[in-house]
Amino acid sequence: MSTTTLEGFGGRLALRVPYRAVLVSLCLTVAIIGVLTWSLMTGSYPLDGAQVWATLFGDPPSDTASTVVWEFRFPRTLVAFIVGAFLAFSGAALQYVARNPLADPSLVGVSQGAALVVVSVTILAPGMGYYLRPILAFGGSLVVAALILLASSSQRGGETLRFILMGIGVAALISSITSALLTYGDIDRAMSALGWLAGSVHSVGWDEVRWLTVTAIFVVPAFMAAARPLSAIRFGEDVATGLGIRVRMARWGLIILAVALAATAVAAVGPLGFVGLIAPHLARRLAHSGVGMHLVLTGLTGALLVGLADFAGRAAFAPIQIPAGLVTAIIGVPVFVALILRTQARSQL
Amino acid sequence: MSAKRTIFAATGFWLCLGGVVLAFLWHISVGAKAIPLGIVWQAITAPQDGVFDHVVVRDLRMPRAIFAISVGAALSVAGALMQGVTRNPLAEPGILGLMAGATFAVIIGIGWFGLAGTAYVPLFAAIGALIGAVLVWTIASAAPGGATPLTLILSGAAVGGFLYAIESAAILLNEDTFRNFRVWLSGSLARRDMATYLWALPWFIAGLIAALVIARQVTALAMGEETAAGLGVDTFRIKVIALGAVVVLTAAAVSVAGPLGFVGLVIPHVVRLFVGSDYRLIVPFSAIVGAGYVTLVDIAARVVLAPVEISTGIVTTMLGAPMFIWLVRAKL
Repeated sequence: MSTTTLEGFGGRLALRVPYRAVLVSLCLTVAIIGVLTWSLMTGSYPLDGAQVWATLFGDPPSDTASTVVWEFRFPRTLVAFIVGAFLAFSGAALQYVARNPLADPSLVGVSQGAALVVVSVTILAPGMGYYLRPILAFGGSLVVAALILLASSSQRGGETLRFILMGIGVAALISSITSALLTYGDIDRAMSALGWLAGSVHSVGWDEVRWLTVTAIFVVPAFMAAARPLSAIRFGEDVATGLGIRVRMARWGLIILAVALAATAVAAVGPLGFVGLIAPHLARRLAHSGVGMHLVLTGLTGALLVGLADFAGRAAFAPIQIPAGLVTAIIGVPVFVALILRTQARSQL
Repeated sequence: MSAKRTIFAATGFWLCLGGVVLAFLWHISVGAKAIPLGIVWQAITAPQDGVFDHVVVRDLRMPRAIFAISVGAALSVAGALMQGVTRNPLAEPGILGLMAGATFAVIIGIGWFGLAGTAYVPLFAAIGALIGAVLVWTIASAAPGGATPLTLILSGAAVGGFLYAIESAAILLNEDTFRNFRVWLSGSLARRDMATYLWALPWFIAGLIAALVIARQVTALAMGEETAAGLGVDTFRIKVIALGAVVVLTAAAVSVAGPLGFVGLVIPHVVRLFVGSDYRLIVPFSAIVGAGYVTLVDIAARVVLAPVEISTGIVTTMLGAPMFIWLVRAKL
């Protein structure tokens, strides 16, 4: 691997710089800015690149441009990026902790748990505070994730794939309850819940940006701090214990963090499938690196993925909008299949 | 079979059949206007044109009860055959991609080619089910370790999720054509038309007869490929017939009611608890018990939240998913 080590204080402080990974993350950042510009330009009121940047830096060419960019397109695109990064982080953490390349927030029931809670609140108690939604979604996801973990633990080992199967079963059960609630509910509320369920960035605004940012401020640093235990856990529990990691605590802490991130993302835009599954694998393909750098790359890849999915869903069949969740599912399934084909036989029962 | 077991099985069979008839009558009598069982019976055996209740029973309620019975029998038998032939306790048309394929094909057929209520609907569904099954099987066998129950379920989930995403996108793109599909997609017996059912009827019958004919050989296959070959069973031929029967039954069920998940998983396991591992008994009992089960589920779907009604498929999933979870824990 092409790395250079920066040293200071007579070798007491050292920082390894993986060139390739840094280069890739720069490219991803540029790509994200590109998608942002492109996505702000496109729509029923087209703008050109210069106008977009002028508007963003407080010098709008017209009032309409200012409204279109600031009220509609910019928050939406931002939410897409943040949500993508959240789901990608969550997927990466689950994959490391479960040592399972197929783990994904939507495959282990987190998305469905959050969806059930949000739909129940939308339908049964529509007056309930909007800001409570992410917290409730977090509660719901945590309960479902715990259920799946408990149900899949067994004396006989081989939890890796049983975990996924449990996820499929529990997800089917919870989705059916959600659908029943939708049938029961008032038609207008059911329709709004239905749009949300397809995973749509369609109707988000600055409110979502605000609480996603607040979550990010709390959770993402914790995540970065967790890079250390993660890099030990991926070698197995025994090795990690030998290296002085409190494995049980680290594992549960990471699962809770992963669930929190996925739940907040789902509460904002609805279940977006497969992002958490693909992003970590793509990031690993782009550049090999340590866990910390891999998390950064994963976050960027996830942001880019959802940003592109939202843009594609919006632009492909304009004026009809395909929810980003459908686009990510259509891209994600082939990757999922490829992963099934590559998963080693040893991780099976 | 010993004489004692034959008597036992025959008694059980007639009891179950009686139960299904009762469920059928109850299904008809329940509704916005409750109709007493006596009048339901009268309407079926000696209908009079002028009596309002008789018209309601014959034109509105009886078709739906017939749909429920046929679909339940077809899906349960399909599930039983799949579990026997593949020796996979978690095999079921819904889990292994057949239902997703059939649903997708029906949506394409009706939405794009305007084939609603024609003879082509079951045909499209059958082609879709076959492609779904082959796709899931191919992906699973290419995985390291081959087509184990695990890889089959994973690839089934993948294929199902993919097709569902495309269906949802198609529905969004063409709201007018596809408006009616929203309910149908979750598996519902409400407002299905008789024309489709009549076109699907020969498929139901053919599939059930094929299943009964090969039941004996399936019992041998369920004991293992070598055992079956040693007993003189042409395993390849039986597998092909079984696949054909499963595809035909799934296609007929989906073209009438949409995807009803987990029926084919639950019923054969329940039946096996009572009648053992002989498919000559499992197949007919699955048909009867499945018919009764879907009829009862459909009653529940109509009355629990009345006047709104839940899709039948939602209720079968709610009841079936815990069974799936239990099976994963117990058998894998």
